[in-house]
Amino acid sequence: MNRYLKILIPTEIAKGLALTGKQFLRVFLTANRRPAPLHVVSEYPEVPAPLKPRFRGRLQLLTNAEGELACVCCMACEKICPTNAIHIEAGKKEGRKTRIPLRYDFEMERCVFCGFCVEACNFDAIKLNDQFELATYRREDLALGLADLDHPSLVGRHSIAEAVPAAVVAKDSDEGAR
Amino acid sequence: MSAPGFPEMTLTQTLLIAALQCIAVTAFVFVLVPLTTFAERKVLGYLQVRLGATRIASGLHGLTGGLNRGMWAMGKVPVLSFLRGLPFPIADVLKLFVKEDIVPDKADRLVFIIAPGLTMVASLAVFAVISFYPGVLFVFPHWVPILGGCPFAGTAADVNVGLLFVTSIASVGVYGIVLGGWASNSKFPLLGGLRSAAQIVSYEVPLTLSLLAPVVMAGSLNLRELARILAGLPLMDASGQLLTQIHPLQSIPLFIGFFIYLTCGFAETNRLPFDMPEAENELVAGFHTEYSAMRFAFFYLAEYTNMIVVSAMASTLFLGGHHLLPFGLQRVIPESWPILGTPNLLFFVGKIVFLLFVFIWVRGTLPRYRYDQIMAVAWKYLLPLSLVNLFLAALIRFAW
Repeated sequence: MNRYLKILIPTEIAKGLALTGKQFLRVFLTANRRPAPLHVVSEYPEVPAPLKPRFRGRLQLLTNAEGELACVCCMACEKICPTNAIHIEAGKKEGRKTRIPLRYDFEMERCVFCGFCVEACNFDAIKLNDQFELATYRREDLALGLADLDHPSLVGRHSIAEAVPAAVVAKDSDEGAR
Repeated sequence: MSAPGFPEMTLTQTLLIAALQCIAVTAFVFVLVPLTTFAERKVLGYLQVRLGATRIASGLHGLTGGLNRGMWAMGKVPVLSFLRGLPFPIADVLKLFVKEDIVPDKADRLVFIIAPGLTMVASLAVFAVISFYPGVLFVFPHWVPILGGCPFAGTAADVNVGLLFVTSIASVGVYGIVLGGWASNSKFPLLGGLRSAAQIVSYEVPLTLSLLAPVVMAGSLNLRELARILAGLPLMDASGQLLTQIHPLQSIPLFIGFFIYLTCGFAETNRLPFDMPEAENELVAGFHTEYSAMRFAFFYLAEYTNMIVVSAMASTLFLGGHHLLPFGLQRVIPESWPILGTPNLLFFVGKIVFLLFVFIWVRGTLPRYRYDQIMAVAWKYLLPLSLVNLFLAALIRFAW
């Protein structure tokens, strides 16, 4: 008897409908009206994607307290790089004890974002930042030089999330990447 | 044909009003269908804890980007984002108009071209007899050139065999699917068409039997009268003499019949969980694999129009039609009450919209049945159940 009742009254279907109905109401009534939205997908291009702190994005040169490049051209990163993506030309600067890079070429088309260079660096001079929107229309845009590496954004100008300030883009295209 | 209490209309007026009614009904369908496709995207999204369609262009530039820009300028997560994606239906229609129309070389050209039209016409023609409002919806004011003082009825064609008309015309729709599948001259459409034929033949039986129970109760086939009687209200003739009123116990077979009808309706409209004819992961797209552009759009439109037909029939027969309460419970509200007690166009449309939501809700919840399971459900469960339901209705009708 119980078995036939189970067939006649589709309780499982009702359970499923109740579940999805509950989720529908939850999202429908609160969609985009809460600081922490209930829906599980992100609205990526408009809302910046949340990244984990250990995310390895594009290489970036860091500066020290004086505002100079912290890199002393020890070539540790160049040596450890498995794909030879980094080339450094060392030079001198007036009033600075250590060497300073004259060129720091980072060829991102070859970079595998392994992070070995950051681990090898003893001077906290480089990091892989959280920039991941690295698509470009031209291959040359992926070869980054000193002028590109110390400010946060050159590649990634085609991202719509965070519009690159027009001045930065203009300056970069004038000077060229190298 | 003239409504009581109004002067006899001339032939021109009758024809004009009939044309206007057709236009009004068609406009209703063609407004509701794109909105349903939009709602399908949004509701399915919400059911799966997503947001559904939220943009028509990714980007902040250009005409469409301006929409996004304005929304996001209001704050990080704008309140109005519920309405974003609303231009999707327009984009859909534009795309279908602009696309190239391809007829396969080996296809049977004539049948291939006729098939979508057949499905479309069959699903639209049903709306002629569906009663949106009993009696006169509004009267044309006197300054209207030809039609001044003429009544505009809530039913396009108030025929006495409305229900018969609906079931017979609606079952023509399957020919379009079968012919389309056959004329494409390709494996997947043929399989889809065959499945569709088998499925719809099977489900036509319990569907019609579940519609028969209300007819047995009411003793009428006129959809306007059916809606009133099945809401539980007494039907009087012109002299005020009681013709029919259903017994309070009839609510039970009405309630059971509603679920049988809805289940069969899902199968008739090829919606999940019964979308065997177009099972995407088995048959590419089923019967309309070879169709493109407006011919495909006709099949697409017909599917949604059929959903509206099934919703309209279910709300007319089981959910009280233009009255508020379903399953013959309207009798508890006196007819003298201002809004709740009187028939209302909005009640009817509201029920249709709710049932369309149920269609999407079920689609977002249930997986597709296997083919033999579909047949088992129809012949082993729904058919006996609808027979028992019919017997119950007849028993209550003649015992009390």
